[in-house]
Amino acid sequence: MRLDTLIAIALVFIPFSLTSIGGGAAIVAGIQHETVTVHAWVNSREFLDLFAVSRAAPGPGMMLATVIGWKVAGWLGAFVATLALFVPSSLLCYSVFKLTNHHRDKKWHRAMREGLAPVGIGLIIAGVLSLFRLADGGITAFVIAGLSGAILYFAPRFPVLGVLALGGLAAMLASTLSTWVSAL
Amino acid sequence: MTSPVPASPLETPRLRSLFLLCFKIGVLSFGGGLSGWLYKEFVLSKRWIDEEDFSSSLAISQMLPGANVVNLVICMGEQLRGPVGALACVLGFLVGPFFAVVGLCQLFDALAGYPLLPVISDGVAFAAMGLLIIMCVHGVRRAMRFPPSIVTIAVTAILVGIFRFPLIPVACVIAPISVALAWRRI
Repeated sequence: MRLDTLIAIALVFIPFSLTSIGGGAAIVAGIQHETVTVHAWVNSREFLDLFAVSRAAPGPGMMLATVIGWKVAGWLGAFVATLALFVPSSLLCYSVFKLTNHHRDKKWHRAMREGLAPVGIGLIIAGVLSLFRLADGGITAFVIAGLSGAILYFAPRFPVLGVLALGGLAAMLASTLSTWVSAL
Repeated sequence: MTSPVPASPLETPRLRSLFLLCFKIGVLSFGGGLSGWLYKEFVLSKRWIDEEDFSSSLAISQMLPGANVVNLVICMGEQLRGPVGALACVLGFLVGPFFAVVGLCQLFDALAGYPLLPVISDGVAFAAMGLLIIMCVHGVRRAMRFPPSIVTIAVTAILVGIFRFPLIPVACVIAPISVALAWRRI
C-alpha cells in the first residue's frame, strides 16, 4: 500500500520533470490537476496552502512537489517526489550541456533556444490562470497579485520575502475590514 | 580560445568549496534573481567561470526543462569538475531547501487552529502569483520581436489554462512546431 503510494508519486512527477520548460511555474497547472483532481491526494484548500509554503521557503518553486510528497507519504514521500521531479531534468540538462556546449553558435541550437522559450511562457500563464480559478479569492486575489507584480516589476531589488509578507498582511486586513463592514 | 595552454588560468575549485557555495546560495535563495547571484559568485568573485561560458550555460538552463538555477549549477559543476562536480553542486543547492520547505510545512500545520491562517496563506499565494505574472510580462515582451511567438504563447496558455487540456501532450505537440518556426526565421 505504502509502496504503491510512493510509486504513484514517482509516476506523477517524473513526466512533469521533463515538461517543466521555464521552471516549476510551468507545471503548476498540471501538478494541480494530477494531485487534486485525478489522485485526490490533497484538496484545493491544501494545494493552495502548499503552493504558498513552497513559495515562502527558500529554493526553487519546484519544491512544491516536495511538500506534496511529504503531505501524502511523510519524509519518504518528500524524498521520492523531490528525486522524481529533479533527477530526470537534471540528467537531461547534464547530457545536453556535455554534448552540445561546443555547438552553441550553430543554427539548430539557436532555433531550439528561441523556439522553446514561448512554450514555457504560455505554460506559466496557464499556471496563473488555474491558480486564480483554484483560489477563488475574488477581487482581493486580483488586487494583491497585481500589486505584488507591480512592486517587483518597478522595483526589482525589493526583497521577495517582503512582498509575500505584505500579501499575507493585506489579505488579513481585507478580511478584518469585511467582517467589520458586515457587522455594521 | 583553443590554445593548449589557457591564457589566464582560471582557478579550479575543490569539490567541498563547490558544495558549500551552492549550499549557501540554495538555503538563502528566497524568490528570484538567483542567476544574478550565481553570476556574481562564480564569475566575478571566485573567477571560476568566464563570462561567455556563463551566458551559454544560462541559455541552456533556461531552454531545457527543470528549475533554471538547478540546471545552471549542474552546467557549472560539470564544466569545473566533471560529473562529480555537477553532483556536488546540485546536492549542495537542494539539500537546504528540502529541509526548509518541509519544516515550514510542519510549522504551518502546527498553527492550523489559528483562524486567520488560511486568510494569510491565501494572501501569500496571491502575492506569489504576482511573481509569476511578472515572468509572463517579461516573456511576452521578449516574444514581441517575433509575432508567431505570441501566437505560440497564446495557444499554449488557452489550451492548458482555459480549456484545461493536459499539459504534457500539449507541450509535446506545440514545442516542435515552435522550434521549427524559429528555425525558418533564423
